[in-house]
Amino acid sequence: MNRSTHGWKWLLVSPALLVLVFAASGPLLIVAVYSFLSPGNMGGVAWEFSTEAWFRVFFKRDIFEPENVALNADFLAVFQRTLWLSFQTTVICALLGFPTAWFIATRPPHRRMIWLFLITVPFWTNLLIRTFAIQELIRNNGTINTLLQWLGITSRPIDMMYTDFAVLMGMSYVFLPLMVLPLYAAMEKLDFRLVEAGYDLYASRMQVLRHVILPLVKPGFIAGSILVFIPSIGAYVTPSVLGGGRSMMVGNLIALQFGQGRNWPLGAALAMLLLVVVVTALIFYLRVTSRETGERHG
Amino acid sequence: MANPAFDVRRLPGFGTVAILTLALLYLPIVMLVVFSFNEAPSQSTWGGFSLKWYEAAFNNRQVIEVSIRSLWLALVAAGISTFLATLAALATTRVGRFPGQTMIYALINQPLMVPEIVTGIALLIFVAFLKVQTGYTGMGYLVLAHTAFCIPFAYLPIRARLETMDLTLERAAADLYATPVKTFTYVTFPLLVPGIVAGFMLGFVVSLDTVVITEFVKSAGQDTLPTYMLGQLRRSITPEMNAIATLFLALSLVVVSLFFLITRKRG
Amino acid sequence: MVTDQQNHHDEIEIVRVGKVFGQGDTAYHALIDIDLAIRSGEFFTLLGPSGCGKTTLLRVIAGFEHPNSGTLRIKGVDVAGQAPNQRRVNTVFQNYALFPHLTVAQNIGFGLKMLGRPRAEIAATTDEMMHLVKMDSMAARKPAELSGGQQQRVALARALAPRPNVLLLDEPLSALDLKLRKEMQTELKRLQVETGITFVFVTHDQEEALTMSDRIAVMQQGRILQLGTPQEIYHAPTTRFVADFIGETNVLNLQVVAVQGNSAELALPSGQVVSARLAAGLVPKQGDTVAAVIRPEQATLTTPDAGHMPATVHNAVFFGTDTHIHLTLADGQPFILRRQNNAGLSDPEQGSQIGVTLAQGALQILKGD
Repeated sequence: MNRSTHGWKWLLVSPALLVLVFAASGPLLIVAVYSFLSPGNMGGVAWEFSTEAWFRVFFKRDIFEPENVALNADFLAVFQRTLWLSFQTTVICALLGFPTAWFIATRPPHRRMIWLFLITVPFWTNLLIRTFAIQELIRNNGTINTLLQWLGITSRPIDMMYTDFAVLMGMSYVFLPLMVLPLYAAMEKLDFRLVEAGYDLYASRMQVLRHVILPLVKPGFIAGSILVFIPSIGAYVTPSVLGGGRSMMVGNLIALQFGQGRNWPLGAALAMLLLVVVVTALIFYLRVTSRETGERHG
Repeated sequence: MANPAFDVRRLPGFGTVAILTLALLYLPIVMLVVFSFNEAPSQSTWGGFSLKWYEAAFNNRQVIEVSIRSLWLALVAAGISTFLATLAALATTRVGRFPGQTMIYALINQPLMVPEIVTGIALLIFVAFLKVQTGYTGMGYLVLAHTAFCIPFAYLPIRARLETMDLTLERAAADLYATPVKTFTYVTFPLLVPGIVAGFMLGFVVSLDTVVITEFVKSAGQDTLPTYMLGQLRRSITPEMNAIATLFLALSLVVVSLFFLITRKRG
Repeated sequence: MVTDQQNHHDEIEIVRVGKVFGQGDTAYHALIDIDLAIRSGEFFTLLGPSGCGKTTLLRVIAGFEHPNSGTLRIKGVDVAGQAPNQRRVNTVFQNYALFPHLTVAQNIGFGLKMLGRPRAEIAATTDEMMHLVKMDSMAARKPAELSGGQQQRVALARALAPRPNVLLLDEPLSALDLKLRKEMQTELKRLQVETGITFVFVTHDQEEALTMSDRIAVMQQGRILQLGTPQEIYHAPTTRFVADFIGETNVLNLQVVAVQGNSAELALPSGQVVSARLAAGLVPKQGDTVAAVIRPEQATLTTPDAGHMPATVHNAVFFGTDTHIHLTLADGQPFILRRQNNAGLSDPEQGSQIGVTLAQGALQILKGD
């Protein structure tokens, strides 16, 4: 490539980059800046430097005795719930997603497309619709409660909405295809002669799963886990609809500061915190996968 | 004496779990669709078949308005982002390493990595600032936000298509005295079209689907279908929502099928 | 009748086994009516071109394919219901199938670990196996770091470690270069004799089969054409295919003059009569025209008027230890003659006339194909 075409390339790519910097990356910098400002009177910010927002993320100050500093238990509970629910979601998706991916990968080749299509359709369905669908199932007048009462198993509806359980159900439902697809990709490439070798050497079916199959599909498994975990910790819609104000995750907490909370710098600080956690998880994932592929190629 | 063959692909119980999972995956959606045809205003008791909720939806002016706005926004955002993404893909694919590569990839893929809530409030702040400074409160902000968000989704299929394209065809064209512009117009571009179409469709669906960013960027009266639904979900719910959701679902299904057909035909 | 004692002398009995893939129009008969008894401690080879069913038969023994008809008995026990992990049979796969995520030592010890043997025993046996295949220093390496020959040896050690009754080898040497292959052939033979394990070896290389086997079964299109020792297969092929497949051969179509027991007298064009062996069960009538084969080294060069057949020299090809002389017979048929390169004889000139003498009793009359 000579010099003149090099210039061409930059010209071609710059409109996209401009839009992205303007409407995606640039604003992130603004968020970082805002996290160090003071809240304005009616929302918004006042242009005064302050670390109060960052302080509030982790700690609480007694209004009457400012020297009393304690950990911000409410926020901490939200952070904890976020991590714990995301972890549980990943586990559920793994438990259900692994057999599903295996099933699809072991169908005869000409039929696989159909199964892949089937698993992809819910994934393309609007997130809101999927969340709405779950809500319709679990709310007090919803399908499950009506069915249970009709069958005579319960006499009163079971409260499922606005609980951690509801959010967990919703997130597992929404993110399941994201676990299946990378797992499937890894399983499709699996050399089944290795599985045969395992059986030839006296392994039972469970032993083959544990000692041969799982180690060989590990990259797909890790990819799927990350694809579920990271969006989970940043979830907003699902916990908002299914958890209400009672089962808040970090995303809801952030949004609150820009609504009723009227504390934009605090919201900005929380957003930055979330971003840092997500980026850390991503870097961790990249490290792990490059180590895997490094090991593989000796 | 045909014995059941020893199938190395079989793992006990996996088939059952898989089928159950797929059933569970579809159950909520199927219920949604079924009850959209419910005569009674409930999702638990069946009152008979009726299309009245669809009628209500079609007569609901607000629903029509937000739907049209959503479609318009999706078309525009997908269109612009596909165009920009095509340019970007042409510039960054098949050229080996170049300075600033990592940064450019990071920028392009950033909407995929950053949680939508973070981008949402970032844009909220930014747009609020601009509104005060310029007084402009039109759809421009939404278009800009959606376009940016759609770029990586359009970029990926186009790039994938470019990378698997046969370079020799372009070389053959050059050998036959075609100028770079002619080569692009008559060889590269036609071959690229399936990738571009796939990118457009991906961007279209993503824009239609986006709730969080739209929620934080919109001004009053700029609801899209998802934000309208979000608002409704927090209040009263009638099977009219089911009807709207079913229609939306049908649209997604059509787009997904098309996408599958287009990307599969190439083998 | 076969007695129980005889049964246990046979490691593997394959009785009228058939295997079909697919159904109806697309049915593919991979194995047809296979009858075979492999003896304990034997080095048994399945030989044939690709697609002849030898690998399928191996997989049937291992348990990865189930026969549609017939019985398979291992040590007298019908193994119809037994899964591969229940049979005391181990396989050396064609592509080695070493577990890429495990080290050499872990690969070798895999079978014993699956069987639940104590750690000390696994370690001891692994060491022993690595020593046996001369891979002692490679215990911690991963398969990706090994050469083809090394991987092959690990695959062998892995299959031997659980001390199976039968070892199945699916063309294990086909991916190796010539020199390595010859080395491994000697190695394998030595191992088999040392361990006394029954080897069932699959190959398409006839030379390999001849050098290593105690007995060979030649297969074609799902059937066994001939079963016998290497000498029997080589010197007394019963069909054209077997004769052609193993080594070089000459085919002569001659008329039967007389039949006596398991030999016959055949008439040559010159009028002379030469004796030939009959394939078992063959009873031709006087006057029949039969196909008879003779190996190139069993014909000698002589003067044109002496010998059984006159021929014209086409060319001579030098092979180091011997020379192949390509001839054309009086009726236009080609004939190859092999002569050892001692005695410093010079090659006959192209186009010259010579005579061919056939060793008595070397001609083998074939069954009709």
